[in-house]
Amino acid sequence: MVIIPATTGQMGVLPGHVASIAELKPGVLSVHEGNDVTKYFISSGFAFIHGNSYADIIAVEAVPLDRIDAGLVQKGLAEFTQKLSSASTDLEKAEAQIGVDAHSALNSALTG
Amino acid sequence: MASNAAVPFWRAAGMTYITYSNICANLVRNCLKEPYKTEALTREKVHFSIATWKEGKPEKPVIRSDTPEE
Repeated sequence: MVIIPATTGQMGVLPGHVASIAELKPGVLSVHEGNDVTKYFISSGFAFIHGNSYADIIAVEAVPLDRIDAGLVQKGLAEFTQKLSSASTDLEKAEAQIGVDAHSALNSALTG
Repeated sequence: MASNAAVPFWRAAGMTYITYSNICANLVRNCLKEPYKTEALTREKVHFSIATWKEGKPEKPVIRSDTPEE
């Protein structure tokens, strides 16, 4: 089973899942094989669930959680929260919001 | 009805998906521990040659080599 960070929330995929495509947001992908769980942080991407119990996860960056530096995450979160409050144009606001979302997700991944 | 579903905030601000995805990837790369961070920054490098076409003929190609810091 895999739990994917879809834009609509955490989604569990078991063998036999109906074929679908899910857009992913920055978050944790956990792969459960029996009692083993392997977790990866996905930057964004898509999950293609096929009709034959196969699923493909497409991501630009997928890193094991132990490669993430907690200090840099906190720093980034503070920086983008500050940018969000001082942003003026729509584009600046969007970029700052993306920063806040991504760093919050990284933070939850490390603490969750 | 103006839209079937709410558009994501980044699209409403005029950003494309690919820009959004690349920004997310850059943010994640910048939060990695060493040595993974230096390895990841090599993935951000782009090196390409671009030629504009005019009246069916290519003009002189320009080589662009962008580093992660723009």
